[in-house]
Amino acid sequence: MQKADLTSRDIAELGRVTELMEREWSPCRYHCPVHADVRGYIEAAAQGRFGEAIDIIRENLPFAAVCGRVCHHPCETNCRRKDVDDPVAIRHVKRFVAELQGAEGCTVHKPPAQDKARVAIVGAGPAGLSAALHLAKLGYRPTVLEKFPIAGGIPATAIPRYRLPLEVVQIDVDWIRAHGVELITGVEVGKDRSIQDLLGEGYEAVLVAAGLAASRTLPLPGSDHPRVHLALDFLTALNFGDRPDAGDDVLVIGGGNVACDAARSCVRLKPAARVRMMCLENEEEMPAWEWERREAEEEGVGIIFRRGPVKVILEGDRIVGLTTRGVTRVFDSEGRFDPQYDDTDLSDLQCDTVVIAIGQMANMGFARGSGLKAGPGGRLEYDPATHQGSLPNVFFCGEIVTPPGSVVEACAHGQRAAKAIHMYLSGKTIQIDDSLPPYIDTIQPETAEKVLKVCRQAIPTDPPQRRRKLFTEFERGYDEPAVLAEARRCMNCGSGAEVLTDKCAACLTCLRVCPFDIPVVTDVARIQSTLCQACGMCIAECPANAIIARGRDVGELVQHTAAALAKMNGREPKVIAYVCGHHAGAADWGGRVEGVEGVAEIYLPSTARLSSAELLHAFENGADAVIVVACPDAADRYPQTADRTRRRVNQARRLLQEAGLDGQALQLLEVADQGRQAIRAALAEAAGKTSAS
Amino acid sequence: MIVAERKPFDEIVEMVAPYKKVLVLGCGSCVTVCLTGGERQAEILASQLRLAGRKKGLDLSVDFDCITRQCDREFTENLKFDPAEYDAVLSLACGVGVGFMSGVLPDTPVLPALNTTFYGAGVAEGVWEEYCHGCGDCVLAWTGGICPIARCSKSLINGACGGTNDGKCEVSQDMDCGWHLIYKRLQELGRLDELRKMRPPRDWSKNRSGGVRRLSREEMAEIAQESAE
Ligand SMILES: Cc1cc2nc3c(=O)[nH]c(=O)nc-3n(C[C@H](O)[C@H](O)[C@H](O)COP(=O)(O)OP(=O)(O)OC[C@H]3O[C@@H](n4cnc5c(N)ncnc54)[C@H](O)[C@@H]3O)c2cc1C
Ligand code: SF4
Ligand code: SF4
Repeated sequence: MQKADLTSRDIAELGRVTELMEREWSPCRYHCPVHADVRGYIEAAAQGRFGEAIDIIRENLPFAAVCGRVCHHPCETNCRRKDVDDPVAIRHVKRFVAELQGAEGCTVHKPPAQDKARVAIVGAGPAGLSAALHLAKLGYRPTVLEKFPIAGGIPATAIPRYRLPLEVVQIDVDWIRAHGVELITGVEVGKDRSIQDLLGEGYEAVLVAAGLAASRTLPLPGSDHPRVHLALDFLTALNFGDRPDAGDDVLVIGGGNVACDAARSCVRLKPAARVRMMCLENEEEMPAWEWERREAEEEGVGIIFRRGPVKVILEGDRIVGLTTRGVTRVFDSEGRFDPQYDDTDLSDLQCDTVVIAIGQMANMGFARGSGLKAGPGGRLEYDPATHQGSLPNVFFCGEIVTPPGSVVEACAHGQRAAKAIHMYLSGKTIQIDDSLPPYIDTIQPETAEKVLKVCRQAIPTDPPQRRRKLFTEFERGYDEPAVLAEARRCMNCGSGAEVLTDKCAACLTCLRVCPFDIPVVTDVARIQSTLCQACGMCIAECPANAIIARGRDVGELVQHTAAALAKMNGREPKVIAYVCGHHAGAADWGGRVEGVEGVAEIYLPSTARLSSAELLHAFENGADAVIVVACPDAADRYPQTADRTRRRVNQARRLLQEAGLDGQALQLLEVADQGRQAIRAALAEAAGKTSAS
Repeated sequence: MIVAERKPFDEIVEMVAPYKKVLVLGCGSCVTVCLTGGERQAEILASQLRLAGRKKGLDLSVDFDCITRQCDREFTENLKFDPAEYDAVLSLACGVGVGFMSGVLPDTPVLPALNTTFYGAGVAEGVWEEYCHGCGDCVLAWTGGICPIARCSKSLINGACGGTNDGKCEVSQDMDCGWHLIYKRLQELGRLDELRKMRPPRDWSKNRSGGVRRLSREEMAEIAQESAE
């Protein structure tokens, strides 16, 4: 992308430099269906600011805790780090912060007045609750009606508990309700109350977010047997504590995620049973997410490809098998689902239980007495652009109207519907701008090569033998050190250097100091944000003050230092320590550890960005001594940082001495990678020395 | 480009001693490139002065600013601070900038924070070397592109002196003999004959001895005159 020149005047007009980040997104954010600021929350997590991290996530994603467990994470799939080593484990970082903070640990943005129209929402799933939250934040009074006794939709009622414990769903539900979202459970719309009733009761709009509540079934002879289960009912029964009747030899018909969940649940019901899945597709076509399938196989689930069911074979009142036929193709030449069979290729598969998991469909019960019109094919009329049905004040969102997808997509759709309702109730034409800024492309091999390789933190999981027996969660989350290490793998894509072309003197310094060889100097320096690693080396060295970081406001560190010094008022001497936090714990970053008397520690992602001018400013702002705690050679996240840091400290010492101050008041300790104890001891010693001199 | 180096700090302090409010003014051209007088250096010098002022108990307030070039009037419009509000401007430009700004700011003393040292080129990262003297009568055509005025310690025009010693200059063993360099370069180029040619005496009036030098580009200067009329 050809980008426009940026000048200091533009920056002055911008207010906050970080606004620049909105012009071009990191791919993780772009590909996230709710466009959560992934880079932002990963950086907060990397610095141990877990409360801020969850707030950034929740700004866009109401189902943060649920998604921390079950999201299909398109952010990770598109993470630029995949071309360096492995993508950042974004979902696991999210899981850690969401569950650590719980519902109480997240900021609630309830507007002071919620006096706008009342809106009724049918269904407390991800789509309905996300819409309700959005409306509540805008000052509306949403009421969510849910037929089940618990809220959360499929995540609460059908996603197996070993993947998603109910307490985790509850975190999101509680946080959403805290915004003034009224929730009434145990009410089935269409049965207990109709949509017309709701409109008559003073709700000015109704949003239907009823999801896909019924399993599709197959008209197989013998399928009325009590050991032939429909997957959704089967999973829901399990989640409500029932133990559906299953035998020792289970055949699950279907190759999607729901089929995997059903099969894995059967394994847990009877660890000794044989559980197999059978699907029309071949290995490549199988629709289940790769990891769902892998986990099922690890737990002993067998998969039979390219067979279609014909009939359930009964012997007396027992199921003894399933007759199957060969599949010649699943999709037509245009990729549409249109299976063809070879009826000469028949064979029987042994089994005593059958679970049908071939997809879900809508339960249209809610429409009873609504006055909504059905279009051709019995589907309700619906306009995807405005979310409206045949009545202008009845809206739709979520899987009831979208192809089956994921929790996060349902959240996005709910938010979009809320925007539509807001426009409608404000008397405007419903017109939603779905355009997005461009995103940063893949990392070039020349740059990828220079990025320090750091393996993805392993995700501890129970061994399959243990998993087979337990309905409890099998995938442990990261602990704090792992989450920090993982979040620090993020390359902060798109938060890097920008040249202010009016100031650039084309001096070539950036080109010379960049450890990744990114800057090109033509008329002025040109730094491509798509390539920049955001280390800040050039920013610290630029003699024209012509380079800024998109992700940081100019003068941030100086202000932060001044504030820290002001807090130490009355104490003498005042020592500021700039510590490279690339290896530090969250408590260190957050200042929640026992420090050294009289030393204010300020943590930095790396000392690459710390300039000699900033060192002088610390003294100006009242520091009696400054200690730079850096990483020794090669331990920093960016190459060449140790050497540059040494040179800057030496330069600043000379400058101090010239000004008549003691050069020894500035110390450099290269112990930042050695842990809290070592840093503390070194700081104590250095602080002692500086106050003695 | 013009290369300059920072004056010793004590000398700067002495210069600004009579003033209470000082604006340190960087220049965004040559001296930014040679890392001595750009905005960052202005920021650093301002910081040093405030620190020194505090240490010495002086009543000194210092700000910094920077413009694209101190040798053209129009750029002063981009100043963020108004020099008229200061007792003195401490300029980090070369002598040209300092002198020119003195004219632009008639009521404010403009002080030099740099010593302007030479016309040079970057020979390695962070290293600059003298290449030209601005003598006004260029001889590089017959000296293999190596300037005898700048590169010979004595600015000789007729070849090496007796002090040349294994390619080094008698002034310092660390310095190449300029004429040795010229000879070798011409030898490489196969142009040693250039040295045998008779040349008219040099016109040293084009150097400093002719007084203040001036350039007037007729095509532009005329337009300027017309519009002034
Ligand atoms: C078994 C299974 C596993 C899945 N696993 C994952 C996964 O790992 N990751 C992922 O991202 N996605 C997963 N999904 C998909 C995900 O659950 C859905 O995309 C998402 O829940 C859709 O949200 P929704 O709000 O549109 O609908 P739902 O979640 O279905 O919510 C609709 C709600 O409306 C209620 N309702 C329906 N009719 C009425 C009525 N008449 N009156 C009152 N209430 C009513 C329902 O009870 C339900 O609570 C899975 C789906 C299934 C079935
Ligand atoms: S490295 Fe970080 S910012 Fe870049 S795509 Fe991955 S998570 Fe997003
Ligand atoms: S030095 Fe760092 S911040 Fe500057 S261009 Fe290179 S990678 Fe980007």
